[in-house]
Amino acid sequence: MTATPVNESSVRGTDVDLNTPEQPDLPGGLARLGPGSRYALISTLGYVASLAIFGVLVAVKGAEPISVYHTIIASTLLNGDALQQTALRAIPIGLAALAVAVPARAGLINVGGEGQLIMGAVAATGIGVAAVPGALSWAAMCVSGALAGALWAALSGVLRTWLGASEAVTTLLLNFIANDVMLYLIYQAWKDPNGSGQPQSRPLAHVAQLPKMFGSQLNIGVLIALVVVAVTWFLLQRTGWGFQLRVVGGNTEAARRAGLRVNSLLLSSMVVGGALAGLGGALNLAGVETQLRPDITLTFGYVAFLASFLGRHQPVKVVGAALLFSAVALSGNGLQITDGLDGTIVDILLALIVAVPLVVAKYRRRAA
Amino acid sequence: MNGVEQTLIGGVSGGTAILLPALGELIGERAGVINLGTEGAMLAGALGAYAMTESSGVIWYGIIAGMLAGAVVGLAHSWITVRRGGDQIASGLLLWFLALGVTSVFGTEFVGTAITPLSNIAIPGLHSIPWVGVILFDQNILVYAGYVLVAVIWFVFYRTRVGLILRATGERPEVVAATGGKPQLVQIVAVTIGACLGGLGGAQLSIGYVGNWFNDMTSGYGFVAVAVVLFAAWRPVRVLGGAYLFGIVLAAASVLQAHGVSVNQYLLDALPYLVTLLALAVFARRGRSETPEALTRSLSRSG
Repeated sequence: MTATPVNESSVRGTDVDLNTPEQPDLPGGLARLGPGSRYALISTLGYVASLAIFGVLVAVKGAEPISVYHTIIASTLLNGDALQQTALRAIPIGLAALAVAVPARAGLINVGGEGQLIMGAVAATGIGVAAVPGALSWAAMCVSGALAGALWAALSGVLRTWLGASEAVTTLLLNFIANDVMLYLIYQAWKDPNGSGQPQSRPLAHVAQLPKMFGSQLNIGVLIALVVVAVTWFLLQRTGWGFQLRVVGGNTEAARRAGLRVNSLLLSSMVVGGALAGLGGALNLAGVETQLRPDITLTFGYVAFLASFLGRHQPVKVVGAALLFSAVALSGNGLQITDGLDGTIVDILLALIVAVPLVVAKYRRRAA
Repeated sequence: MNGVEQTLIGGVSGGTAILLPALGELIGERAGVINLGTEGAMLAGALGAYAMTESSGVIWYGIIAGMLAGAVVGLAHSWITVRRGGDQIASGLLLWFLALGVTSVFGTEFVGTAITPLSNIAIPGLHSIPWVGVILFDQNILVYAGYVLVAVIWFVFYRTRVGLILRATGERPEVVAATGGKPQLVQIVAVTIGACLGGLGGAQLSIGYVGNWFNDMTSGYGFVAVAVVLFAAWRPVRVLGGAYLFGIVLAAASVLQAHGVSVNQYLLDALPYLVTLLALAVFARRGRSETPEALTRSLSRSG
């Protein structure tokens, strides 16, 4: 795996490191370790500490920590059904996480995964419900979802390259606008007349849904997502475009002087990212949800942002992080049923996990 | 009272819930640290203030609790970003997530309860100025705190040594360090005070404006506050204008509806974000040269 300059700068922040000596003050034993193993040891301790803090928290809420961890694992990994659900949820999270990772190569911060997922699902619903359902409906839905996500991300890309507006903030604002667009559609324009008052769109015809595979709950969305991940990896690691993105992300001024068309590259990274998230939204809709309803994304877009950080914006690691977070996010249901906890408590666990790489960032830089 | 007055009164009151966090964000960004955790600080402040007021019955304790809850988020953000060198955007988002989880888990018992919100205090003399009086000088204490803070922050920024060091830290931390200053300390203090104000903004929502608590009650206000600081080009007075603009758009929406004007509800809901986005688009290029230099490193790493 090639080292990415983007990650180096992305974790640095404004830390000027002036007051910190090159060797941090460490207990004697730690100082004798090499930087690599020191980093590994400290990260591991960090994750253990995160899990311990979460354990204390659930104990405060009157649950048994051991039982809680058992529920998290049992309800997401230990049986076939749960495992399949984890895999299905990992599709939108993983693709939205790649939507963060691709622009991050060029030094852009896409916090708009949530809005891009929503717009993908909206466009897919539009096509899926309006068009005559046929054998290839789901393909049309995927394409339209990707286009809608790309367009939504392109808004921020254009605002950034033409007007200089920070994409971190515009993508964030567009999430809220996308949510309002979706709510308008499901409460008014597209409301299902047979939905007994529920705010939801008409359900997709069976033929328009993603076909299931091998008689399981898994649909071909899993395959599509795997192919897309592979293609994204290839684009980033093995093509001139991927290389140029890294040059722009590493040193924009140098890239400009070398004759790279910086603005087009920035914009293209946003468009590709948005398309990935939009596709994720469409696959989630056509394969799992089958109709548009509020909370369809359940903050997956933000979970994806954190997953991309945990995977340091490298496609394969990002997908691994997305799988992990998919399991954690899904375990909220189990915790609610088995341990009587509020399901949103898993947000805390997600945040604690992502805190670790941020807190140990310095050790990783020394190890690199 | 006509619709325009109602809109402006509501705009100043609702705008304060953006103004306070935006001023806090301004302090942090002037020191070179962007904090998307402002949204989390607001949530923590909203619940902290509400829970304390509800259980103690003393609204002042609530205000203090709101600020402290916000400060905790700010302290965490500055520790991760300044001391540990973690990415500012990621740290802000994860603290928002943390606050979202913590407030929803610990706030459940308060959902459905209500308190009497902060009462308005008419300022003697000033409040009888025609028109302006009812809009600006018959509000609650947190609204007045907003006025005072804008003035104080402006004064500190541009007329004191502390302000000079703060702004220098946001531009060139290494220069501050070379002259014997402590840029990291400045950033930690600035971010923590900033998040205190974020907590106060959350308090304005829960105990100042509505008098109850519900999950995710800040619904993106903290992010709007960050956007306001950007399009206000890091100037205190413009931050005030931007925050009230947001408040007025929100208030206009509900006043229009109350007067039976049929405007699409979802368009109204999206309007504040659209206006913020538009303002950002219009003012972004103008503000760009004024971006604190240390901040540009974390706000955008290319271009």
